[in-house]
Amino acid sequence: MEIKINTGILSSNDQTAVENKKVFDQTGLFVINMMGSPGAGKTTVLEKAIDILVDSVQVAVIEGDIYTSKDAQRIEKHGVPVKQINTGGACHLEAKMISRVLAEFNLAATQLLIIENVGNLVCPVEFNLGEDIKIAVLSITEGDDKPLKYPLLFRESGAVILNKVDLVDYTDVNMDVLRRDIIRINPGIQIFEVSARTGRGIGEWVQWLLEKVKEKKIRLPKNRVFL
Amino acid sequence: MHEMALMAGVFDIIKQYTTDLEESRVTKVTLVVGEMTNAVPEALQSAFAVYSAGTVVEGAELLIREIPLTAECMSCGWAGKTEKHLFICPQCSSLGLELKTGRELYLESLEVE
Repeated sequence: MEIKINTGILSSNDQTAVENKKVFDQTGLFVINMMGSPGAGKTTVLEKAIDILVDSVQVAVIEGDIYTSKDAQRIEKHGVPVKQINTGGACHLEAKMISRVLAEFNLAATQLLIIENVGNLVCPVEFNLGEDIKIAVLSITEGDDKPLKYPLLFRESGAVILNKVDLVDYTDVNMDVLRRDIIRINPGIQIFEVSARTGRGIGEWVQWLLEKVKEKKIRLPKNRVFL
Repeated sequence: MHEMALMAGVFDIIKQYTTDLEESRVTKVTLVVGEMTNAVPEALQSAFAVYSAGTVVEGAELLIREIPLTAECMSCGWAGKTEKHLFICPQCSSLGLELKTGRELYLESLEVE
């Protein structure tokens, strides 16, 4: 006997992600899910951005890591609330891992929640966390072939941060090819060229992010604005 | 590497359909997997073997129906298979391609006897 099912394999995670999103939308909290390879510079980009962001908005951070709390310790030094999630071997964060730690934040007093996913170009992409936008971080030293090799991340992301552009003269990376392929995979994507080490380009990304935070607040019904 | 997590999701769904089928065995599980998902069929097969051991699914065949990546051009109306995940129209070079298939990831059916 054949039983027809037609149920999404990720439906349980997607359901929890929808519940997370409801919590975020209640107070107009803007949430980003940052993804990229180990060593792309996700944490360093964040450290530099947070120092500018804290002048305008309340930021909170969730750090995903397989075993350690090294990244959370780095973020903590910048004076923002941060929670570490250790996946204990899993290569990605799942929506229920996020929902478990939300109670530890004062969400009503927060305008921007940054989730740094486990360093990985493949697995985290399929698991929605309830975020407003996915952001890919790719360091140019990884090579200009990466968008075509890992297209889903670039297809699903609203913005891509190309990090380590200060090293462009020391690599064989072709920036035109890199930009062209990213746009061919996702014509609507925003590209930011930054160097977290020198700080170049971080300001532009932060401005864009602050616009997004503001846009989400404006969409809230008036009696629910917490700003 | 996340195929183990995906397979956990498959078995959660299978369990819902097989708890009241004590005397039966599942002989075939059909998954539909789009080309533009990060799920690798071979890794899904390995995960399936691990999860099915000791359950009513043990020994069942895992059939993976792969769906190609296709798109339609919003400018000139071209429709077809998208090569190398590039969303550029082969007919008019427009970047306005809309994805039609290739993101599927679901459990389609079970064969039970």
